[in-house]
Amino acid sequence: MKPLLQLSDIRKSFGAVRALKGVSFDLQPGEVHALLGENGAGKSTLIKVITGAHSPDDGTLTVDGESLRSLTPSHARELGIACIYQQPALFPDLSVAENIGLRLKKTSAFAKVKHAEQRALALDLLKRVGAEISPDAEVRELSMPEQQLVEIACALGSGAKIVIMDEPTASLTQKEQHLLFGVVRDLRANGVGVVYISHRLEEIFALADRVTVLRDGESVGTHPVKDLTEAAMIQLMVGREVAALYPPAEGEPGAVVLSLKNLGCSASGVRGIDLEVRAGEIVGMAGLVGAGRTELARILFGITPADSGQIVLNGKALTLTSPREAISRGIAYVPEDRRRHGVILEMPIAHNITMAVHPVLFPGTLLRFKAETAMARDFIRDLGIKAYGPDAPGGSLSGGNQQKVSVSRWLATKPKLLILDEPTQGVDVGAKSEIHKIIRNLAKEGLAVLMISSDLPEVLGMSDRIAVMREGTVTAVLPGGADAHQVMAAALGQSGKEVA
Amino acid sequence: MSTCCRYGVDETSTLLNAVMTAAKPSLKSLLARHEVVLLIVIALEILLFQSLGRRFLDGTNVSNIFRHSVEIGLLALAMTPVILTGGIDLSVGSMMGLCAVCFGIFVNEAAMSPLLAALLAVGIGTLGGGLNALLIARFQLPPLIVTLGTFSLFRGLAEALTKGSKSYSGFPDSFLALGNSDIAGVPAQIWIFLLVALGIWLLVHRMTIGRSFRAIGYSPEGARYAGIPVRRNLGLAYILAGAIAGLAAVILVARLGEARANAGIGYELLAITAVVLGGTSIFGGSGSVGGTLLGYLAVAVLNNGLSRITAYQLFDQPISSVARELSGMLTGLLLLLALAVTPLAKALAARRTKT
Repeated sequence: MKPLLQLSDIRKSFGAVRALKGVSFDLQPGEVHALLGENGAGKSTLIKVITGAHSPDDGTLTVDGESLRSLTPSHARELGIACIYQQPALFPDLSVAENIGLRLKKTSAFAKVKHAEQRALALDLLKRVGAEISPDAEVRELSMPEQQLVEIACALGSGAKIVIMDEPTASLTQKEQHLLFGVVRDLRANGVGVVYISHRLEEIFALADRVTVLRDGESVGTHPVKDLTEAAMIQLMVGREVAALYPPAEGEPGAVVLSLKNLGCSASGVRGIDLEVRAGEIVGMAGLVGAGRTELARILFGITPADSGQIVLNGKALTLTSPREAISRGIAYVPEDRRRHGVILEMPIAHNITMAVHPVLFPGTLLRFKAETAMARDFIRDLGIKAYGPDAPGGSLSGGNQQKVSVSRWLATKPKLLILDEPTQGVDVGAKSEIHKIIRNLAKEGLAVLMISSDLPEVLGMSDRIAVMREGTVTAVLPGGADAHQVMAAALGQSGKEVA
Repeated sequence: MSTCCRYGVDETSTLLNAVMTAAKPSLKSLLARHEVVLLIVIALEILLFQSLGRRFLDGTNVSNIFRHSVEIGLLALAMTPVILTGGIDLSVGSMMGLCAVCFGIFVNEAAMSPLLAALLAVGIGTLGGGLNALLIARFQLPPLIVTLGTFSLFRGLAEALTKGSKSYSGFPDSFLALGNSDIAGVPAQIWIFLLVALGIWLLVHRMTIGRSFRAIGYSPEGARYAGIPVRRNLGLAYILAGAIAGLAAVILVARLGEARANAGIGYELLAITAVVLGGTSIFGGSGSVGGTLLGYLAVAVLNNGLSRITAYQLFDQPISSVARELSGMLTGLLLLLALAVTPLAKALAARRTKT
């Protein structure tokens, strides 16, 4: 049978980062083909290549027998490729029928809108996806799964032959999941090819015919789902050995610095967290994107205050409602989004480094430039920040050096607890191991470190203990020597209880 | 190094390289400095008016340039921290109207001493600024919309208090001296202006709060993550702007000898013009009080010069009738030109280093 879509040896780099290093993939008519991989394995980039959002540097795409170097989004749509994203891209202020009409009908800007026709079309498509949604409802009023159904209706209506679903169940309830599965099976029965991306192994077993596993931007194999066990799938995803490149731990951890008791925050979906971090200890925090790790960090830093449970720091129960308060209690947070939250790119690195210690460094609020420059020089030397001087704007530094500036800012506060969120994301290999050494040295000096990371080897290599989060809570605390399979299994919630 | 608008990382670094690799400052790199452009503009203005009119640079007129524009200078100073945070305050001109009217009522109808009335007027300005601060910093509403609202609200209150037409005068000479006398050969109100300028300079360039204004302007979220009390400091910028508008109102009444609801109409726009002309980025973050002072000077000299050439003729046509329109038009042109020169020079400098 002629495949609907065939990708061969697709390569794509962003600057020095090689996101796809030769991915091959094919999709048959009437097939649900799952794409599986860790965070950052290249799934999103691959989807963007298929939908025409990115053009590949190398390799060929064959859509319905037609070979192409690359696609544009509109060309992809003409070829019958539709993508349903996790976050539906509908116009919130327009009605469902208007959204569907806009998506499906190509008319000139001044053509008269045929409301009745539009409405009838919408009604028909919504019925086909089994959605009980009024075509006149404003999209703003719809829930996330309802919006996804509207997206699927659009895909149906456009006569798409290739439908890509990016974690479609992430925000769905059980009942809605079943509904969605039914729609996917209908699509398959009608000869549509579905590319299905999900972290939930049980869904892949329930829905998919074949699975392709991506790891570090490469496809490591395509297998019929019925030939694989869950354990084998995890093995494929994790694959590599953890290199012994990480600085070793030394000595026993000291007293408990941070203790969380049944901590939760309903606004950010974090619940029932029990966790301890000791002085001199690095606790790695693993889990999938969206498992609630950054949300937990934001609670501990006072950005989204907790509404249940307790935060105890050095034996004292705290209520944290602002970063300022958290800082004064000795909590430091190196945020995930370095460019938005970690470093102010336009400001000199000296200003960035001293930003969290204004009250200490500048008593009486008058700036002391000498003290500021001296502090900046110390950190530039101690952390090996490569910059032409304390006056260099943050934006002129490489990612790794920006991260060191961000870490410096928090070390300047002399914290008791240091929370690092994806400390080496987007950092080149050299700077990465330097940052690892810095983190280990800080722990040796007695700092309690909570390190959130989606980089599994990093978590395994750096952590004295590993806490795994899934769906807003800590599901496992594993010893530092745990292997990748255990961590992945806990992150994926491979208990089998929630299988649809 | 101050830049007049937000540059991406790459642009900043190429610019930086351009500046660092240039062996000696070329004309283009000199033009890339906003302050230099402004100084040239001011010099050209002075040359033009000196050649058109007589005694433009004599002592009395130089005094007048400042005496007649000091309120705009005060508003420009007040506006600088606000714009540094990435905000804007359109209500300061209307605030002057409200404070002027209140001052008039306090002195004329409540028989207060001018000093007490002036303090109360500044207090009312502070309260009005506090309303802006509450809406912008506490409730996170957009500054443009909030101050557009209070722009109408404050002026409307002033008009309601005077029933649209009433004005207050008959203030004691000791008070009027504030607007019309000299101290050590310099107009009395200029001393107040210089004090305020010094204060704002300290605030912006020498205190942690000034640093936090910039951080908020560049990245409010980034500032919050660094533990900066974003709401409090943002609010303070607007409260301060209100207080200074109150002070400017008192000085205006002292100069004119009259308090009316229309005091300070349009001043907010001239103040914003001066600040932006001075190189402060309207997106927030970068800018300086020195730049604001130069921007104010450029606006003040232009307005004074134009008001003087009304008595003369240009191209054999009497131009007195068009002087007012000319003033607005030229202020606008000046702003646009001054804004265009710096990016143009930078683009040229960047292109040269590439080839």
